[in-house]
Amino acid sequence: MILLIQNEVIKLLLKKKMILIIFLLLIFITLFSYGEKYAYDKNIERLENLSGDMNYDWKSLANQRLKDLDKRLDSPYIPEGGISSIEIEIEQLNYFIENDINPITPSAAKFSVEFVEQGILLFIPLLIVILAADLVSGEFSSKTIKVLLTRAVPRWKILLSKFIALTMMTTILVFIIGVLSTFVSFLFLQRWGLNEPVATGFSLIQGTLNSDYVVLVTRFQYMVLIYSLVWFVSIVLASITLLISVIVNNTASAIGILMAALISGQFLQFFLSDWTLVKYFFVTNLNLTHYLSGSYQVIEGMSLKFSIILLSLWALLSLLISFIVFNREDVLV
Amino acid sequence: MGANILKVNNLTKKIKKKEIIKGISLEINEGEILGFLGPNGSGKSTTLRMIVGLSKPNSGYIEICGYSIKNDYVKAMSNVGCIIEEPNLYSYMSGYKNLEMLGSMSKGVTKKSIDDAVELVGMENRIHDKVAIYSMGMKQRIGLAQALIHKPKLLILDEPTNGLDPQGIHDFREVVKGLAKEKNISVLISSHLISEVQMMCDKVSIINKGKIIRDGPLDEMISTGEVYWVLNDLKKGQKLLKEFFCVGSIIHKEQLIALIDLKELTRINKKFIESGIDLEYVGTKKKTLEDLFLEVTEKQNIE
Repeated sequence: MILLIQNEVIKLLLKKKMILIIFLLLIFITLFSYGEKYAYDKNIERLENLSGDMNYDWKSLANQRLKDLDKRLDSPYIPEGGISSIEIEIEQLNYFIENDINPITPSAAKFSVEFVEQGILLFIPLLIVILAADLVSGEFSSKTIKVLLTRAVPRWKILLSKFIALTMMTTILVFIIGVLSTFVSFLFLQRWGLNEPVATGFSLIQGTLNSDYVVLVTRFQYMVLIYSLVWFVSIVLASITLLISVIVNNTASAIGILMAALISGQFLQFFLSDWTLVKYFFVTNLNLTHYLSGSYQVIEGMSLKFSIILLSLWALLSLLISFIVFNREDVLV
Repeated sequence: MGANILKVNNLTKKIKKKEIIKGISLEINEGEILGFLGPNGSGKSTTLRMIVGLSKPNSGYIEICGYSIKNDYVKAMSNVGCIIEEPNLYSYMSGYKNLEMLGSMSKGVTKKSIDDAVELVGMENRIHDKVAIYSMGMKQRIGLAQALIHKPKLLILDEPTNGLDPQGIHDFREVVKGLAKEKNISVLISSHLISEVQMMCDKVSIINKGKIIRDGPLDEMISTGEVYWVLNDLKKGQKLLKEFFCVGSIIHKEQLIALIDLKELTRINKKFIESGIDLEYVGTKKKTLEDLFLEVTEKQNIE
């Protein structure tokens, strides 16, 4: 079995997909981090012009804000829930003032998280599709499935070895995304920012943002959290891609079907947000990271827990069907 | 002959509700080469695919070296090497890497067995090149090596000489014949090239429209039962045949030709010699396999 997995990994590597993917990543990360740097510089310039002073002083602004917050905390009229969020903001501001960092300064860690937060809907799924779409269908296209399935190895073992190899490569891919986005953006932004405090744990209860469970973590911890979610989403997508690859036996169609699903899923949730069935579609649930930052939910009744359970079900079902189909299929190529 | 290697019994297969294979039975013993002849679309390939487990029969059973392919898939398949239709290789790898990869899927394949297989098919010089730049003939050789690395007892070749030049066909044939003779490997070879089958095979099965319409040892199938003699006195011979064996005969092109029971042949020859005729040559008249093939497949078409 280990030999089988090794074979599959070798095949994946020799197809040079990883090189293509790394190349794509490098291009996009370089572009975006340059863009981030550019936007930041412009912003500072604008603020300096606004204050009329050559030395735009963010520190006094931050201190001002800090005083405001302190005052508000003393007021007897603030609601119970408000206190914790104010305390957190104070803590964050204190950190930035103590470390002499402008809170709006971009950092490599921040960029890396933003990159995957944006990419989790389309860009990362696309990379997974590039990696996995021809895993089985490619064997059919090149007809090598015939030599593969006429050895003394049961079919389920062959598919399992393919899936394990794919899981390994996906894990490596997520790791590569993290490393590349951090290091390349560091070249432009010149700051790691791994220890900055980040607020997380927002939840949406009955339409209002609830910050009772908000905690402060370091940027690095937050990064690990976000990347674990990205990894989970990637594995789910890899399973679904495997299913399509088994069913259609044609690489071009497999890529087409998956891209269609990913893209249509994006606008489906905006146009048909009243239709509850949409929330059971896997594409609608891909954006796991936005649950952590507490951004607006398009469809009601979705939570991190709901999405994770739903995606797990999609993955398990996809694998189950893949194995059944692959085991029974007549190879007629 | 030795032990039974392949046993196929009453195989049927439907594809998209159309019955493609209608009850095929085959048997191959150790060291035998069975030719599987049939026109295009007769079901040759489908049958072979079922034997190697690529496709599942609707009914009937397949046994390889005594293991049922349905219940003992791994044991049965470890005795089979095959090329189905064309050698399919990973074009982005070298030939050697291909063999190594496929070899690792079977038990007991060492580096030496790969080297042996490469040597057998004569690909030592180009084995580390990428398959993408191989010619058809080279791919075919690697295909054969791939089928042999795990030392199977049964070799299944589906249209193996498609796309080979005459030299390639000749080399290929010699290798396969050698394997059957020296290593006692049984071979099932499907083809629509009759001359190829005639030159290689011990037994022939002719298939048409999903049924086996003729099978048996090659010699038996192509013999017509007619015997011809080259004698110094043809007239006397003809008279002797008539008097002692009640057999009518004709004289044609300096030969005496008669339809006899082959068991009588020794007695007839003895009689000729005893009667003082010089017996120069005696032989059985043979049809070509092509005649036979056309005869049986055409007959099927009319029915």
